[in-house]
Amino acid sequence: MSRNHLRAALAASTAAVVLAGCGAGGRDASSGGDSEGGDTTGVTDTTISVGTHQPLTGVAAPGYSEINTGMKAYFDYVNEAGGIHGRKLELTVKDDGYNPTNTSKVVDELVLKDNVFAILGGLGTPTHTAVVDFLNKEEVPDLFVSSGAQLWGNDPEARPWTFGWQPDYEIEGKIMGQWIKENKPNAKVGLFLQGDELGGDGEKGLRQYVDDQIVERVEYASGNTDIGPQISKLKASGADLVVGFNTPSYTALSQLTSMKLGYDPTWIYTNVGSDPKLAGELLSTFSKGKVKGGGALDGAMTTEYIPGVGEESPWVDLWEKVWKEQGGKGELTNYRVYGMSQAYLFASALQASGKDLTRERIVDVIEKDAKNWPGPNLAPFRYSADSHLGISGMRMAEIKGLKTTPLTDVLVTDIGDAEITKDETDVAAVAPPKDGLPDVEVLK
Amino acid sequence: MQLINTLLGGFSVGMIYAAFALALVLIWQSTRIVNFAQAPMAMITTFIALKVIESGASYWIGFTVALVAGLVLGALVERLVIRYVDHDNHINPVILTLGLFIVLHALAAIVFGSSFRSFPAAFDLTGIKVGGETLALTPFSIFTILVVVAVMAALRLLFMKTDLGLTMRATAFNREVASVLGVKVNRALTLGWALAALVGSLSGLLIAGGGLVHPAYMDGVVVYGFVAAVLGGLDSPAGAVVGGLVMGIVLALVSGYLGSGLVPLAALIVLVVVLLVRPGGLFSTTKERTV
Repeated sequence: MSRNHLRAALAASTAAVVLAGCGAGGRDASSGGDSEGGDTTGVTDTTISVGTHQPLTGVAAPGYSEINTGMKAYFDYVNEAGGIHGRKLELTVKDDGYNPTNTSKVVDELVLKDNVFAILGGLGTPTHTAVVDFLNKEEVPDLFVSSGAQLWGNDPEARPWTFGWQPDYEIEGKIMGQWIKENKPNAKVGLFLQGDELGGDGEKGLRQYVDDQIVERVEYASGNTDIGPQISKLKASGADLVVGFNTPSYTALSQLTSMKLGYDPTWIYTNVGSDPKLAGELLSTFSKGKVKGGGALDGAMTTEYIPGVGEESPWVDLWEKVWKEQGGKGELTNYRVYGMSQAYLFASALQASGKDLTRERIVDVIEKDAKNWPGPNLAPFRYSADSHLGISGMRMAEIKGLKTTPLTDVLVTDIGDAEITKDETDVAAVAPPKDGLPDVEVLK
Repeated sequence: MQLINTLLGGFSVGMIYAAFALALVLIWQSTRIVNFAQAPMAMITTFIALKVIESGASYWIGFTVALVAGLVLGALVERLVIRYVDHDNHINPVILTLGLFIVLHALAAIVFGSSFRSFPAAFDLTGIKVGGETLALTPFSIFTILVVVAVMAALRLLFMKTDLGLTMRATAFNREVASVLGVKVNRALTLGWALAALVGSLSGLLIAGGGLVHPAYMDGVVVYGFVAAVLGGLDSPAGAVVGGLVMGIVLALVSGYLGSGLVPLAALIVLVVVLLVRPGGLFSTTKERTV
C-alpha cells in the first residue's frame, strides 16, 4: 500500500468515526430522553413522532408501497379530531427498497437522528430481521411488524420491545391445511413457495394437516422473475391444487406462467400475495386483455384476518370515510386498509397508555391489554407475557372479481400443535365507535 | 414433459440472451469495451415503448419507436461520452459504462417511476398444444426466436457483404490503418454503438413482452448476457449466439431441477470455468490480445 493510499484510507476512516459520533450525539440532545417515569424520546406535550421503513421502490413495492399512505391517512384523521390525549401523530416514512442493508441505515436514522418514539409497522421479514436486535438494544418500541414471521413474537424475553401484527404464516398454513383436508381430501397438493420464512413457515403449517396429500413443492428466489421451470415442475407432478406462499408480483407471474403452460389448478394464495385488484392490474396489460383485470383471480382462495375493500363491514365504512377525508390520490385499497388497521391499533395503544406516555408504558399496556381492544381484526391478538405474536386467526375465503366470499367461520389457533377452533370471542362483531377514534379505557 | 418444457423455456430465453450478448460483442469488437450500460439503455427504450403503447398507439408502433430510440441512444452515448475517455487505458471506459449504468437507472426511476408494470406482448401467450399437451412454446416465443434469427442474419449480411460493414470491420481490426486507408473511423464507431444499442433494445423488448418491467429488470440479463458473450469468446458473433443459447438452457435446467436461488451462482460458475479452462471462449478465432 503506497503512502497516498494509506493516507486516503486513514482520512476515510476518520470521517466515518466522526460521522458515527455525530449520529450517536444526536440522541442525547433529543427533546425527551429519560425522565423519572421512563423514556419519553419522540414525545412532546403536543406531538408523538413515529417512524416506519417501507419498500417504496423495488420488487416488493407494488401494493406494499401503499400501506404507509393508509397509516398516514388515519393519523391525519386522528389529528383532525385533536389527536390522542392532546398529542398529534407524526409519521416519518423511509424507503428501504426491501433491501436489508438499507433498512439498517434508515432505521438508524429514524432512531438516532430523527429520535422517533417508536417504529410502527416496519415491513418485511428479511428487512426487519436486520434491525430487530438493534431496536431491542436501544429499547425502542417496535410495534406491529408488517410480516408474518414468528421472530417478532415467539420469544418476548429475548425481544421484549417487538410485537407482531398479522397472523403468522404457520397458523395460516395450518388453517389452510385443515380446510383442504376437510374439503378436498382427494386433491393432489402442490406448493409454490418463496424461499424464506414466508414459504418455510407456511409449509410447516400445511404439512401438519396434508403432508400425505402433497405431491410436489417448488421454491422461487425473490427477484428471479422467470418461474417457468418451477411451474413446469408443478404441472408435471399432476398437482391439481396449488398453495402459494408468495408476494403479489409472484401471484401475477404464477397466473401468467400457468396460462403459458396450459396449467389450470385450483389456487390458494396466502393473504400476503392475494390482492385481486393488484394481481388483476399487473395481469391486464398482458396479451392484450386476454386476462381480464377484474376477475383475474376468480375462483382462487385465500385467507382473511381483517375485512377488506368491498366487504360489508362498519370498519370498511370507516376506512372509506377516512380515505375520502384524508387520503391522497388513488382509491382505497386493501393495502391502505392494512396500514389504517395498524394505525388504529397504535392509536388504541396510545389511548390506553394515558397522558403519561413513555416507551416502557406503551409496551407494558400492549402486552397486558391489547387483546381486549376492539378493532378491525377478525380474531383477538395473542399478546401476553409469553407471546408477542399478532392476530390469532383468520377465515378461508374465495375470490370473486375484486371481492371475497367467506368460506369458513373465523378460526383461531397458535403455532406448534395447538388445536384449530372456532373463534368464540365476538371481536369480529364489534363495530368502531361513531367518531372513528379508539374508545378504550386508560389502563390502571 | 417437464424436461421438454424446461428446455423450450430455456431455449426462448436463451435466444434473448444471445441477442444481448451479440450487442455486447458488437461493441467489444469495434472498441474493446464491455458496455455494461447496455442493460439500462435497453430498459429505457423499453419504457419508451411502454409509454407509447399506453398513450394508445399499437404495439408495433411502440416496438419501432423503441428500436429507433435505441439506435439514437447508442449513437449519443458514443458521441457524447465514450469518445472522450482515454481508450489506451482499458479499464477507464469499462468503469465509465458502469457509471452510466447507475446514472441511467436513477434517471429511469425518476422519469418512469420504479414500480413494476406489465408489458404487453404482440402475440398470444398461451402455449401451443400438441396432442393434448401444452408446450412451453407460445406464439410470442416463436416470434422472439424468428426475430433474433433475422437480426443475426441481417448483421451477418451487413458485415460480410456491404462496404459499410467492411469499413466497420476495418475500424475494429486496426483503427490507424483504417483511417490511413480513408475510412471515417469516428463515424464507423458511432454507427457500431448505434447498431449495438439497437440489438440491445430489441432484447429488452423481447424479454419484457408479456412480463413485468421495472428499472432493474434488465440487470440479470446483462450478467447472463455477459457470461454468454465470454462463453462464446468476446470476439465471435456466432459464439455469442451459441453462448446465449447454452446459458438459457443451462440456467433453466438449474432453476427447474436444482433450485431457483442457484441461478446466479450457476452463471458465475460457468464464467469462472470458461475463464480458467478456455479463456478465449468456445469460439474465439483470434488469439486473445494481451492487455
